[in-house]
Amino acid sequence: MSGPDSRGRADAAAGDASLRLAQRRRRMRRLALQALFVAAVLALLAVFAHNVSVNLQMRQIRSGFGFLADRAGFDIGESLLPYDAASTYAQALLIGILNTVRVALLALVAATVLGVMIGLARLSRHPLVRALALGWVELARNIPLLLQLLALYMVVTQFLPDATEAWSLGSVALLSKQGLMLGAPTALGTALLAGLAAGAALAVGGVRLVRRREGGLFAAATAGLAGLAAGLALGWIGAGLVGGWSRPALEGFSVVGGAALTPEFLTLWIGLSFFASGAIAEIVRAGAQAVPQGQWQAARALGLQEREIVQRIVFPQALRLAIPPLASQYMNLVKNSSLAVVIGYPDVVSITNTAINQNGQALECVAIVMAVYLLLNLLTAWLMNAVNARVTRAPR
Amino acid sequence: MIQRFVAAAVSLLAFAGVAQAGKTLDGVRSRGVVACGVNTSAPGFSSADSQGRWTGLDIDLCRAVAAAVLRDPEKIKVVPLNSQQRFAALQSGEVDLLARNTTWNLTRDASLGAVFAGINYYDGQGFMVPAKLKVDSARKLNNVALCVQAGTSSEKNVADYFATHGMKYKPVVFDTAEAVQAAFVSGRCQALTTDISDLAGARAKLPNPDDYQVLPDVISKEPLGPAVRRGDDEWFMIVRWSLFALQEAEELDITQASVASLKTASKNPAVLRFLGVSEDVGKLLGLDREWAARIVAAVGHYGESFERHLGARTPLGLPRGPNKPWTQGGLMYAPPVR
Repeated sequence: MSGPDSRGRADAAAGDASLRLAQRRRRMRRLALQALFVAAVLALLAVFAHNVSVNLQMRQIRSGFGFLADRAGFDIGESLLPYDAASTYAQALLIGILNTVRVALLALVAATVLGVMIGLARLSRHPLVRALALGWVELARNIPLLLQLLALYMVVTQFLPDATEAWSLGSVALLSKQGLMLGAPTALGTALLAGLAAGAALAVGGVRLVRRREGGLFAAATAGLAGLAAGLALGWIGAGLVGGWSRPALEGFSVVGGAALTPEFLTLWIGLSFFASGAIAEIVRAGAQAVPQGQWQAARALGLQEREIVQRIVFPQALRLAIPPLASQYMNLVKNSSLAVVIGYPDVVSITNTAINQNGQALECVAIVMAVYLLLNLLTAWLMNAVNARVTRAPR
Repeated sequence: MIQRFVAAAVSLLAFAGVAQAGKTLDGVRSRGVVACGVNTSAPGFSSADSQGRWTGLDIDLCRAVAAAVLRDPEKIKVVPLNSQQRFAALQSGEVDLLARNTTWNLTRDASLGAVFAGINYYDGQGFMVPAKLKVDSARKLNNVALCVQAGTSSEKNVADYFATHGMKYKPVVFDTAEAVQAAFVSGRCQALTTDISDLAGARAKLPNPDDYQVLPDVISKEPLGPAVRRGDDEWFMIVRWSLFALQEAEELDITQASVASLKTASKNPAVLRFLGVSEDVGKLLGLDREWAARIVAAVGHYGESFERHLGARTPLGLPRGPNKPWTQGGLMYAPPVR
């Protein structure tokens, strides 16, 4: 029964087999090459690590991460967690990381709100608004951030009065060279934590509610921010009512009590927000302008108001284009926060600088800082990718 | 600063087996200069004048070493370093000698790959405040906003001091001495803390020094001295004995003006030995017999150097205090040069 058919099939089978073999061989070769490359990189790293440890030992320089458990012995100007000189290096670094996260997060929110507003203002029909927005953008993004921070810090510290002559703002806050001292709940940490938790819950609830009513992205974002603010206010007031208030007051030549927003923090927060808002405004504007004119015309033909067009038609489409460049702006912002060192804000770089000089372990400390920024930015990228995936999956 | 860390890291990464031991002297001789790590700007210790010439007590020590080793006090390469760069620069071999008003303590001596060669200034930490604050003692500085430089021993001393006395303070920390002083002058901090010699220098630089006062309290001991890389005993000996030669010359009353004539005129065996006339102790250090004479001819003895840069006739106006020779009740005491 061996006809030409079956032979053909056998040939085909043989051909398939040889093809599969060739494919497998190619795959194996590629795998082997990749494995070789990885091995070479690992070997290089191992040589580096070995050389470092040999060199350090030869020069009798202490190495390793054991120092993290040692007593730090220096104080830190502002910290979200309890800290004093008896704490460890690990705790000091944690305070620094939290300070970096705090200023970066707040600047991120402020820069986004400002950036969206300025970006949309750039498209306004009023020439004055357009000109002002253009001026803002050019000022924000054409002067190096370092200079902006130094200038702003100088203005803040020269312009504000001494603590003894602090300006009183409605008896709940004092503004001086020591910073903005606010009346605050005595249990400040609890207030912030509770406020954040309540704020997150309210924000999620607000966004859900708006989405269920088919509200636009704009309305959802507003609801989210409003929820967060309301939650923080609730936590603040609640903790104050339960645990009592601490009011800033002049004691000797210093203002004591309350919660302090130091000049260093304010400068960095304002500076980072302003600088990033310029770039974000341009991203928003570019995104909005990339939405085809036909969309505007169609929306107008449907009789939609100008505001509705922006909020319901243009902005959601612009967002889709804006998110990838926005993500890289956010990452820039996180990295730029390391300029804190020049104005004395105790961020993770500043505290690491101190640590390096107290214990001399520059390699380990710099490695830790690099890892911290890498992780922070990977986290930012991951979050932005998640947002991006959601936005692009939305029905067109 | 990051560049320097990277440079140090790269040198550590790439060149295993660059042996340092015994090599510094060879390197200095083949390069023809002594690379000196100094403070970026510490009046009296190391600062550049309007012609760009570096002067100060630490600079004089560098010149002394250059005079001893290279027979020319001008053959120094000044490398200004801030406080965080200093040990990295020494470790990486960027400088041969760290003369940067640096406090000698156990951690630095034992774990940074450096070793201190002696003490060229006995200092202590203090506070400067605006006169209008009307504070007469550091004990009245409770709740003060305090400007301090990052990564100094001052940062730790002040933490200990305020904890010991149950007082609170808010540190405001900057990278450079200039930024610390600017913040203090702007009024961001009500007090500035560092070594008293530094405070005197900072005060002298201010437009109106009389508006500021240095408090009498001394909260720590700060022996400042030169450091060299570990594991190079030959170089260590040269730096250490160059410093001792400055101090010994003052004890023997050999001055910059008299050193040449004393070679023939002196009857004192110790002087003749020191100047290499009667004995050659220089060869034990790997140097020639004139090494100490050249040091004194270049910068004078320790007392002359002190008076020139820090003493009563300078803007700093610092008293000799513990930096007098032991024969006058001070702490400066060099082992015999013999």
